[in-house]
Formats: sequence, C-alpha cells, structure tokens
Amino acid sequence: MKAAASLLFALLALMAFSLATQLDLAATGWSRADRSGNFLGLMFGDGRKLLGNQFFTMADVYFHSGYYPTIFDQKSEGQKEIIAASHGKKEDEEDEKNEDFFGKPKDWVDAFGRNFKITQHTHLEQGREREILPWLRLAAELDPNKIETYTVGAFFLREHLHRTDQAEAFLREGLRQNPGSCELLFELGRLYRASKLDFDHARNVWYLGVNRYLALKPEEQKENRLIFEEMAVNLAYLEDQTGRYEEAINWFRAAQQVAVNPTALQEQIDAIQKKIPAKQP
Amino acid sequence: MTAILQTQKLRVEYRSRELKPPQKVALQGLDLEVRAGEVFGFLGPNGAGKTTTMNVLLGFVPPTAGSASLFGIDVRQPIARQRIGYLPELTYYYKFLTAEEILRFYATIFGIARREADKRIAELLKLVELEHAAKRPIKSYSKGMQQRVGLAQALINNPDLLILDEPTSGLDPLGRMKVREIIQRLKNEGKTVFFSSHELGEVETVCDRVAIVHQGELKAVGTVADISRGHSNLEQAFLKIVGVQTTPQP
Amino acid sequence: MNKIIAVAGVVIKELYRRKDFYVLFVLTALLTCAAGAMNFFHDDKIVRYVKDICLLLIWVSSLVVAIVTTARQIPAERESRTIFPLLAKPVSRGQVVAGKFLGCWLATGIALIVFYLFFAIIAGSREHIWPVGIYLQAAWMQWMLLGIVIAMVLLGSIYLAAPSSTSTISFVAVGGILLLGGHLKNIALAQPEPMQGILTFLYFSIPHLEWFYLSDFVVYNFAAVPWAKIILATLYAAVWIGIFLLLTWAGFRRKNLTT
Repeated sequence: MKAAASLLFALLALMAFSLATQLDLAATGWSRADRSGNFLGLMFGDGRKLLGNQFFTMADVYFHSGYYPTIFDQKSEGQKEIIAASHGKKEDEEDEKNEDFFGKPKDWVDAFGRNFKITQHTHLEQGREREILPWLRLAAELDPNKIETYTVGAFFLREHLHRTDQAEAFLREGLRQNPGSCELLFELGRLYRASKLDFDHARNVWYLGVNRYLALKPEEQKENRLIFEEMAVNLAYLEDQTGRYEEAINWFRAAQQVAVNPTALQEQIDAIQKKIPAKQP
Repeated sequence: MTAILQTQKLRVEYRSRELKPPQKVALQGLDLEVRAGEVFGFLGPNGAGKTTTMNVLLGFVPPTAGSASLFGIDVRQPIARQRIGYLPELTYYYKFLTAEEILRFYATIFGIARREADKRIAELLKLVELEHAAKRPIKSYSKGMQQRVGLAQALINNPDLLILDEPTSGLDPLGRMKVREIIQRLKNEGKTVFFSSHELGEVETVCDRVAIVHQGELKAVGTVADISRGHSNLEQAFLKIVGVQTTPQP
Repeated sequence: MNKIIAVAGVVIKELYRRKDFYVLFVLTALLTCAAGAMNFFHDDKIVRYVKDICLLLIWVSSLVVAIVTTARQIPAERESRTIFPLLAKPVSRGQVVAGKFLGCWLATGIALIVFYLFFAIIAGSREHIWPVGIYLQAAWMQWMLLGIVIAMVLLGSIYLAAPSSTSTISFVAVGGILLLGGHLKNIALAQPEPMQGILTFLYFSIPHLEWFYLSDFVVYNFAAVPWAKIILATLYAAVWIGIFLLLTWAGFRRKNLTT
C-alpha cells in the first residue's frame, strides 16, 4: 500500500513536471507576467496605473513633508506644484509656501486636532529631496506612460541632487517607454544644455522634439503648444548663446506663432537683431 | 444548624425579549435550605430546573422573583461566592494555561496570598494526582485529567460549601470513586456539599438529605430514608414522585 | 484590583501563547527589511519611505492584534464556557470587563513596544538620529487610540453575534473614523438638510481617533508635539474608554449567559 502510494506520488510529480515544460512556452502567450515584465505589473495588471498616480502624489506629499491637502480640504491641486518646481519657477515655489489650504479652524475639534497634524508648509531642501525618489521610481514602474514622473524625477536628480547621469538615464528610460515624447525630449535637452553644457547635443535633442511636434496631427499639436513654445524659446536662447543670431530669431518667430504673449518675444527678437552686425552694401 | 444555602419562593422565567411574555418558567416558587455540614443531593429529571437553580446560586442567571442566598448573602453579590467551590458538569478551562497557572489564577481571584497559594496548589495537585503534568498546557490533558483540574480549582479556596454539577458524569469508575472519596473527606472536615446527580445509587450512599425537583417545583425534601419510606429504594420513590409509572418487580 | 489584574494576566498569556502576534511581527519585519533593501537611484541615504512603510505596517498590525484579540475575549469565554467557573468565583462582571480591557490594552502595549523598538533600530541605523521624544509620543498616542478601540470592540462583542462580525465592523468603524473623522464637518457643509445636521452631529459625537496618528511627525522628522496637548488628548482618550467600558458593563451585567 505504501509502495503504491509512493509510486502514485512519483507518477503525479513526473506528470506535473512534463506538463510544466510543455506549457511554459505556450503560457508566454497569455501570461501577464511576460507582457508587463515586472512584479508590479504581475500583481496589479492595468490597475497599476491608478496606483502609479497615487505614488506620484506621494512624491509630492513627501516634498511638502506631509503638509498636503486632502480631497476634503479647500485646495486640492497640490500635484501641480511639484511640476511647477520642475520647470525651475522658484518664485512660484515661494508663493506656494505662503498658501494655507487649512484656513482658520472651523471649531474646537478642528482647532485641537491641528496640534496633531502637520500645519507647517515646508519644502525639502539641502539634499533631502532624495526622499521623493522612491515614489517616483515606483510611479514609473507602475505607470510607465506618465511623462511627468520622468520629467520631475530628472529635474530633482539634476537640479537638486546634482546627479546628471542618473537624471539622463531616467529620461532615456522614459523615452524608451514613450518614444518621441516632446516633453521628455525637451527635458533631456535642458539637461544637456544646463547641466552638461553640451550645446550640440541639446540642439539635436530639441530639433528632434520640434520635428516630433510638427509630425503631430493638428489637434495633438494644439495640446502640445506650450511644450513647442518652450522648445522653440530654449532653442532660440541656445542659438543666441552660441552666436547663431539668425537661427535664434527664427526660433523666436516660430515660438511667437503659438505664444500667448508674442510681444514679449518680439522684444527678445529686437534685442538679438541689435547684435547682428549691419550688412555691408 | 444554620442554613448555608437558601432559596425563598425562587422563580425564574426565560424570555427571548425583555418586554415579551415569558417563553418558559424554569422555577416556580422554589424553597430550599441546605444546612451547614450536610451533603445535600439535588435530584430531578432533565429539564426539572436543577441547572437553573445552580445558575441562580452562582449568579449566572438573575431570579425573576424570590431570593437566593449563600451564607446569608444575596447571590447577586460577588462576595457571596467567596467561600464556595464550584465544579461544572463538563470541564471548561483556558486550554493555553497549565494546571498550575489555572490554580494560581483562581487563587488570585480569591485573594489568597502567594505563599499560601503555593502551598495549596501543591497540595491540590497532589490530591488530584496531577503533579507530573502541572506545567503542561491543559490542551494536552486527557478528559479525566481535565476533570481532575476542575476538582482542584473547586477546592482552591478551601471552600465551606461545594457546589457540584453532575460531578461524576463522564468519569470512569476510578474517577467516580475518587470524587466520592473527596466528598466524604469534605464531609468529615465539616464542609457542606450541594450536588446534582442522575446517579441515584451514588446519592443514596453519600447524601444526608436530598431534594427532588420536577417541572420547576420542589416535590420532596428529606433524608434518603424519609423519601424512600414506603418504596423499595430511592429510585422507586423518585420515579413515583416525578410521576413515572413503573411495572412492579416480580 | 488584584482580580482585574488576574483576569488581565490570562489575556496577556493568551496573546503571547498564540501565534498571531509573532506572525504579524515577522511579517512587519520582513516587509520593512525588503523595502529597506530596495535600491532607488543607487542612493542609500533615502530613509523616509522605509519609516513610512514600517509605521504603516505597525499601525495595521497593532490594530489587527487589538481588534482580533478583543473581539474574541468574551464570546470565546461564553462559547468555551470558561466564563462559568470564572463567574462562580467572587468576581463581578464589571471586574471581568475591566480585566479583559486591561489585558487586551496591556498586551497591545507590549506588542507596540516591540514594534517601536524594531522601528527605532531600523530608522536609527539609517538616519543616525534618535528623536526619542517624538517616538515616545507616537507610541503613546497610538496606545491611547488602541485603548479607545479595545473598549469599543469590547462593547461590540457584547451585542454582536460572532467575533468575526465584531472584528469586521470594528475595522470599518476605526478605518472610517481615521480617514473621515476630521473631515465630516467639511462633508456636512456640502450636504442639504437633514444630512448636514446628521453629519455635524456625528462629527461632534464620534471619538476623533485621527488625533492620535502622529506617524507623519515621525516620518518627516518634525519636533515633538507640546506635552500639554498630549496630556489633553490622553484625557480625551480616557473619557472615551470610560464611556465604552461603562456601556459594556451595562450590557454584560444584564446578559443571560446560559442562552
């Protein structure tokens, strides 16, 4: 009886092994694990994008050291602040620090409860910005198509933590997931220009970005107007900086076509034109 | 002799909801008196009200009317249970504790000082022959061993009154003998024992007085000899009192 | 008091002889260590997310220990009928309730000490700072919250049929209060009457458990809360514990245990 049971066990184990070797190949066709290529994808499927968004918000919460509005508070658009910061608008950052989304205490419960929650509006600084990185990394894993994750992560890595190579690698990872993304190309160009002082690379990347923009359908171009303007203006500054004034003026003119305030750009054009030596008759 | 245990016109009604009429009257005007130093047997068929009476005496069920007292103190006062020991029909103890821990826990409840508790625990473990298993969790005990823990805990406070609910049910002959010995020993020490049982033969051998209850009413009370008078034995008297017709023996 | 302590002692023994706590502790430790071992941009100075995850696990684990342990206390005594030999001793039902509460509360307190020691070691080893004050405050406030929760669960266990239903309802209630308790007024203001009135009444009449959540102060390295506020919050917790225990005693006192 014991021998029969052992034999049956051995037979079943052999069958399981044989089936596994046969099904392994077939399973790659339907297995979610192979499509997503990572553990989080396997765990959450497409629902992971929701979590990715949440983790992106967590990065923002960390940036504000827990001072963050909930959906019930007066202001619930904290998410944009980190992105504003990513574009280097320090003055926006300072204005934002002065905002108080809690308002005055509504009653004694609210007033007393504030002793036990963070009511001080601060931003991470002096290298502590690194604390937001895990959430951005996870957000990128969970939702690889969320462009802001890469641009914000690269900005903090480059600007605050001075880790340009890792910022570049993160942006390139974003580009692999989102080929031809104008925003990512713009950010990559900024990295080359501002951090690596590699103007040729910056110009090439922005050119690529502009070409991608021009290849978009008209309605898609409308959505990406701002990023085109940013690229054109930055290209103009770059050309100005490298003494290619004609190109600089051309880029400012291109930016004027989509700009909200073309007059300001005209002033820039006028300033550059003064730098061009008068043509000999 | 003074009454150690007393009920007067004790009435218990069970109802499903507070304001609804009673579904069952478990006791109707029960008058009972157990005197100091006697072994008192409490008899009755199933559903007669024996367990309800015990539940009232132990404070598990509040009386609907009438009163019950132990040592002259209303049973609703916890202090009334300071000098009693209780052995339930089936053993129910915390399975994750050892016999020694159970006994120490109950000793603390009785407010027994640590040194005195140590002494008494050792004595009781010896009495119930569980010294070898004292530090093992109760979940590893056999049914008989668990019953012996029950007996030990009932005696932890050296009680003046022992309330035993079917103390020998489920025990093997050796276990029954042990329980009878202990009851006898307690009687010799002048303790009072109040116990319910189905074993009429057992009651006959150890009890000074018995009470027979049926349908929540006291039907007879007295010595075994008084109740058996006119019958061949206590069993015949019991059956007659509870209204069961028996065929005469040839 | 000795009787209450004796009943509490049995509860504590039960907790450390059951496997629940050990499983939760090992799970917390494993998940924290796994989170700590993750590499984000080759930066080994990143620490806050590890603290955050560890504290979240501590919160969940301690709530599970508190709610599950408490929810089964009195129903298990009734089901296994251990309540009868116990109540046959000179102990009142009020003392049993108090003993059960004290036992569960002390048991979760012991569990919290173990959890927070682990947390302090993990956080200290990476941050190299030891903000003992805020750690103490966070642990203390969490213990106070667990006191309210335990008293609330004990009350539920008197009236609800099974420990599982008591546990489930308690988890929903505690989670709901922690997440929404402080915002009920805001929600109320956006509602028409009579819902506005009902929600406002709820806002003022529920125990505000969210006050006792100091994890953010620990994660983001904020200074300790003034101790006077901690004392006031402790008094608030004591009042709620008293209310729940009183209601539990009132219910248990009249309970027919034989049905």
